[in-house]
Order: sequence, then C-alpha cells, then structure tokens
Amino acid sequence: MKPPSEDHDLIRWLDGEMADNELAAFEARLKDDPVLAKEANELSALSAGIRDHLPAEMRIPHADFFNSQIQVRIAQMDLDESRQKQTGNISLADSFISWIRQPWFATAGAVALAVLGFVWMRPHTQDTAHSLILSFYTPGLGVEASTYHDNEADATVLMLDGLEEVPADRKISGISVHRSETELEIAATTLFDAAGSPLLVISRDAVGHPLFLTNTPRG
Amino acid sequence: MPSSASTDPGEVSDIDLVKRSQAGDTRAFDTLVTKYRGRIYAMTYHLIQNETEAWDLAQEAFIKAWRALPNFKQDAAFYTWLYRIAHNVTYDWLRKKKIQGDGEFDDERTEHRVAAGAEATPKGDAAPDTAMRNAELGQRIQEAISRLSPEHRQVIVLREVEGLAYEEISALVPCSLGTVMSRLFYARKKLQEQLKDVYETTL
Repeated sequence: MKPPSEDHDLIRWLDGEMADNELAAFEARLKDDPVLAKEANELSALSAGIRDHLPAEMRIPHADFFNSQIQVRIAQMDLDESRQKQTGNISLADSFISWIRQPWFATAGAVALAVLGFVWMRPHTQDTAHSLILSFYTPGLGVEASTYHDNEADATVLMLDGLEEVPADRKISGISVHRSETELEIAATTLFDAAGSPLLVISRDAVGHPLFLTNTPRG
Repeated sequence: MPSSASTDPGEVSDIDLVKRSQAGDTRAFDTLVTKYRGRIYAMTYHLIQNETEAWDLAQEAFIKAWRALPNFKQDAAFYTWLYRIAHNVTYDWLRKKKIQGDGEFDDERTEHRVAAGAEATPKGDAAPDTAMRNAELGQRIQEAISRLSPEHRQVIVLREVEGLAYEEISALVPCSLGTVMSRLFYARKKLQEQLKDVYETTL
C-alpha cells in the first residue's frame, strides 16, 4: 500500500488543491510514472463523469405542495408557540380568534385551515402512500379530534370526541386531497383531487373569518 | 462553500428577503424556499438517493431554517447558511438510518492495486456519444454512488457536486483535512471499481 501522503497528493492534484510548486513537481512525477499517470487519468475521467451526471440543482417534485406544506408547518409552529404562551384562562374561542388575527395567517394560516379535518395525501410517487393529518379544526368547542392509521384497513381513522349524537340518516363524507396550490397574493388555497379538479378553495373574508368555497357535496 | 444564485435585476435580494422573514413575513420566506428548493433538494437527493426521503429532508431543512432565522446574523450568505442546515439534517438522517454500502472500503485497511500502464482516454464505450448511453452512464454513476457509505457519499457530493474546497468540507462534516482527503480517495476508488468497465484504461 502506498503511503497516505501519496494518495493525498493524487487527490489534491485531481481537485486542484496543490500550490504551484507542488503542482509542477507532481506533474513531473506523472510523466515519469506511467502507473501513477494511468491512475490519475482514470480518476480524473471519473470525477468529470460524476460532475456531468449529478446536477447541483434538480426540479423538486410537487413544488407547489412543497412550499405550501412548509407554510402549513410554520403556521402550526406559530400556533403551538402562541398556545404555549397563553394562560389557561383564555377560552378556546379566544385562542382561535387570536390565531386568525396573527399576521402570518394571511398566507400560512389560510393553508392551515385548508387542511383542517381533511386527509392530505403525501406526494408519493409510489403506491405505498399513507395519509397524513396536518391539522384539525373543530367548530364545536367541546369536540376534540384525533387520528390514527389503521394498517389492517389501510385507512386513516378520524376520532371526534364530544360530538353530539349523529342522526342515523346523516351521511358523512370526506375529501381526498391530492395536491394544493396557494395563491399568496390573495391568501387563498385551492385543494385538488387526483384528477386535478378543484375540490375546495379556502380563504378568509373581510373580517378574517375562514371562507370555504366548495363544489363537493357535503354529507 | 456554496453561495447564493445570481439574481436578476429587479429581483429582491436575499438580504431583504431574510430581513422580512426574520420579521415574520412568511411570503418572503416562501420566495426563499422557491429560490433554493431545487439546490437543496438536489443535495439531499444525491446523499439519500430516495426521492421521497429527499423531499421530506429538504422540507425539514427549510423548517429548521425558519426556526433558526432569528439567530441568523447574516455573517454568511443565506444559501451557505441554509446549505449547512440542510447538510446537517440529511447527514443526521443518514447516521440514524445507518445506511451502509456493499463491500465498503475501509479507509485504514484497504489496499488499492493499479495495473501497469497509462492512457489519457478511456477505452471502448467509455466515451458515450449518444443520449441513451449518456443516460445509462448517469444511471450507473448514481447507482455506484448510492452504494457508497454515507461518509464517502457525503464527501463526493460536497466536492464533485457542490465544488467545496477541502477546508470547507472539513468544517462542514466536521473532520480533519487528512480525513477529507482519505475519504475522497477511497470513495473514488470504490466508484472506480464499480465503474471499471467505463473508466479503466490500459497501459
């Protein structure tokens, strides 16, 4: 095995990390040592191949969703932080209203509301996609929502504690959201189904209350 | 260290966007995300070699950046700072996953043997001249890199893709300069071995 410094010389030459005097001496060695020259040429070609085939910038899949989900998570963090700062004397309603009044709500908050109570599909390209609940919003103050994924049923189960008894003839339906697009200028988020059709538009009205526009029949 | 992308005239500077983001302007931060998501994703993808995980890690990097923004003093370019965060997020993930390549080189024990002879250009199909061959070669290089250990993959990406100097790699990893050189050497030897039919030359 060659001394480590010899390997280092080769690597430093390859990466252009040699000083001028070192470079001249090493290139003289290359002329005299065909084995070293062969090694240097092969590694040099390999480096060029790697640089050619590994782009420093790539098109990110589901770019809009990538951005919007970051905004949702930021909104959630701010919400969590806000809740932690609040005392227990503040009612849930007050808390919710103060959340809406936060400056970030104009952009990210709208997105957060967009996913309340809906199952948001992750942008998988594989068949093993799992649903992910990003946030909840329960208009009834006494209702608490939670969720888990049932592997056997391969379904996301939404639990609503504190809900009044639902009449037997009441139908409940959900929306499977495939992707979303956020229009920051108008602080509105549109949710689309797998076919690309808009399911729901979420924004807020002039006084900051959530505004839902949907063409999906509600159960 | 990677620096920010060149900006078009009229485009809002990173400094302005960062200041607005630090003041809580999520729209400004969204602009920064849009500007750098492709580069951050490329880095995480090259290190992870998995589209979904790379997507998640890139997003995690931006979230961490948002949380750390109040502490960003702008003593470095925003992208340089963001890149460090993304790198650390990704490498932490790699460490946790303990992804190991097959037949990994051992920096301390492995000997490398080089056949006698030298030739400046690769033989046979080594210079693919069609798009298909080029794509196939790219795929093979990607596969070969995916078989490297996280440590070796890391230095290859930092050096060959990001063009970082040794000292920058040393500071980012972190490790000694000697370790950077050793890892680069053995990572390349491993790749050379896997791509022997492409890059091997004869004396």
